[in-house]
Amino acid sequence: MSVSREEVLRIAQLAELDVDEDTLPELAEQMSRIIDYVAQLSAVPSNGGAKIFVPGPDAIRFRPDEVNPAPLELEPKQLAPAFKEGFFVVPKLGQFE
Amino acid sequence: MSDAKAVADRLSKVKRLNALLTPLKDLRKSLAAQTAAARPTGVLYGMPVAVKDNICTVEFTTSCGSRILEGYRSPYDATAITKLKAAGAVIAGKTNCDEFAMGSSTEHSAYGRVLHPLDKARVPGGSSGGSAALVAAGAVPAALGSETGGSVRQPASFCGVVGIKPTYGRVSRYGLVAFGSSLDQIGVFGRSVHDAARVLSVISGRDSRDATCEDRDPLRLPTVPESLQGFVIGLPREYFPAELDPAVRRACERAVRLMKEQGASVREVSLPHTPYAVPTYYVIAPAEASSNLARYDGVRYGPRFNGSADLRALYRSTRGQGFGPEVRRRVLVGTYVLSSGYYDAYYKRAQQMRALIAQDFRNVFDRGVDLLFTPTTPTPAFKAGEKLGDPISMYLSDIFTVTANLAGLPAMSIPIGRMKGLPIGGQFIGQAFLEDEMLEAAYALERVVPATDEG
Repeated sequence: MSVSREEVLRIAQLAELDVDEDTLPELAEQMSRIIDYVAQLSAVPSNGGAKIFVPGPDAIRFRPDEVNPAPLELEPKQLAPAFKEGFFVVPKLGQFE
Repeated sequence: MSDAKAVADRLSKVKRLNALLTPLKDLRKSLAAQTAAARPTGVLYGMPVAVKDNICTVEFTTSCGSRILEGYRSPYDATAITKLKAAGAVIAGKTNCDEFAMGSSTEHSAYGRVLHPLDKARVPGGSSGGSAALVAAGAVPAALGSETGGSVRQPASFCGVVGIKPTYGRVSRYGLVAFGSSLDQIGVFGRSVHDAARVLSVISGRDSRDATCEDRDPLRLPTVPESLQGFVIGLPREYFPAELDPAVRRACERAVRLMKEQGASVREVSLPHTPYAVPTYYVIAPAEASSNLARYDGVRYGPRFNGSADLRALYRSTRGQGFGPEVRRRVLVGTYVLSSGYYDAYYKRAQQMRALIAQDFRNVFDRGVDLLFTPTTPTPAFKAGEKLGDPISMYLSDIFTVTANLAGLPAMSIPIGRMKGLPIGGQFIGQAFLEDEMLEAAYALERVVPATDEG
């Protein structure tokens, strides 16, 4: 398998996503199949000089620097799971390695 | 208002499809208020339009088919919604979809799968399956969906309705919940080409709130052409492989014959990089999704799933429990292909391939071809559960649609026949911002094709 269980756990950590121990073998197997499938792209001559294609306008349009308030129907405190005195409430930061 | 009541009654009749996420009680109340407030001079006055649940509306909740946004109310309307309301349309509820639009069968919704309106054992396609099913069942004349890799055209084909994906930049993405930002476009379903085109024309045009929306006037609707004289239609040979379902092939051949009879000249063309479109898409779309979905962390909106000793545990438990299996898979694949050591091998490679796929189309259009015609999907609607265990086989049901998203081109699906009662769709792919030409051809084909006859 191209993606090991340890690799899935490392990627899950990067993605800030809890992965259930029970689902780990199936997830590693499915991710391996997907990665093996997309790996066929590396078999094609790279044509390294090809310009990257991005759809949409060729250049960024600037707009006048005017303040145009867009009133919201709901305030942050009505949307947030925990909100107090103008702040979003979260648990303590803890250890970030 | 009796109009509002009639709309709600039609929607309640098809409740068994599980296509609508808005509770009927809320819908009745809102429809009455919206109908009373609708602008009588608008070009869509009184037209009920159902809206996929990943497009923000102040009226109803916007959950994107996900637990992580369960009960979420947007504090603003998407630009497409603002434009629909200004034209007098009424928003006829939010439709079920694959979670965050990731899927091709509408089986990946946290709120249950959507049933195909003609055969409940089958899927309606996806990810905009709820919108397609409601239009096909006759509950609404038109609906909004969204496309990242075929999520309007594929369900339109499965359900036997018209589905249009406009050119990237034709319709503002403001208020469309982001999945793959370089691919996403709002699209339209209609019972006829005209219904879909009318709605597309209203929602199109410039928007200062979306920098990727082109500075252009709204799409002008073409008139129905007398014939297809002067049209050069290309048939890309890569879209008619030997393993194509024979009924789909027969229906396409009949449609091509009918277009020739109307004066179109038809020639075979080649888009040589087509076989790499699905792998390219399944690198770029998950990469963009992993970045876009980083915002769901249980802090500012949406429910918070606990077990949170510290902030990081809060992120991980909320995302781990809030996202369903397909979204988790794609976020992980996206993180993987962008991670150090793999970026060049996967993401950069896919970006290069995307440029080659876009160049294939330019080469064909530069040689005098106006439009391409292909099957929309390799088979008619498949059975529920059939592809759930095999993500790659699910991904391959988008094989004929992802190319237009990668190249940013307009494309649409129209019904061209049936196989054992199941609809078959034919696809037009047009040149950037020439939706009017594509619609002319679709009008002409729609007029003559026996869309509900066996192919």
